[in-house]
Amino acid sequence: MGLWRKRRCGGPAMDLETRVKLNIYTTIAETTRPPTSAEVARALGESRAEVEGAFRSLARKRLLVLDDANARIRMAPPFSGVATGFQVTLDGRTYFANCVWDALGVAAALHRDADIKTTCGDCGEPMRLRVRDAAPVPQACVIHFAVPAALWWEDVVYT
Amino acid sequence: MLLFRSEEHVNRWCSERGLPRRPLISLPQLWYLAVAWYENRLTAESRRPAADEMRGVFAGVGLEGPFWDPAADQW
Repeated sequence: MGLWRKRRCGGPAMDLETRVKLNIYTTIAETTRPPTSAEVARALGESRAEVEGAFRSLARKRLLVLDDANARIRMAPPFSGVATGFQVTLDGRTYFANCVWDALGVAAALHRDADIKTTCGDCGEPMRLRVRDAAPVPQACVIHFAVPAALWWEDVVYT
Repeated sequence: MLLFRSEEHVNRWCSERGLPRRPLISLPQLWYLAVAWYENRLTAESRRPAADEMRGVFAGVGLEGPFWDPAADQW
């Protein structure tokens, strides 16, 4: 009976932060854009203040990057909340990623084939990457890390 | 990090900005990192890897040394 009830109710109750995190990521997956704190609060039936507290906690754990002024989501890695030079198209939707690592990360997070449009960091010529059957299609290219791992979050937008 | 057509393009990009050439990685290596970081991101249990887990992920694809150590203070 206990197990049945647990399954029927979807397992143990999740804490607010986890519910907020899942709402953010499922919203992005479905719409390609991160929700506002007001939208998450409405969806979960919680106060906006509590949801913004969860946003800040997720940011401290480096699962979100917020615009300081209004607690809007700038990044929910691998997704970007603003237009970038890394566009990932899959299942007819186009997402923005924060960098080339995150562009591949969108395909990995959504477990889908994907087409990535970006440009060469040097000459600006268009480049396209494709992910098929859980692997990138081989292509002549290299990835350069300008910033050591210990400093990635000192200026994560630059990284 | 940025994507480049070739190593020659990386060298020019660094030279024009007066930046040191840092490590290059391949597309298969980057895919490995993307999967390690993000394949469970839409689950309740998802979280960013801790420092020791990051070292393990990087080592798993041949990336070792201070540059890849999230706790290093020089590289």
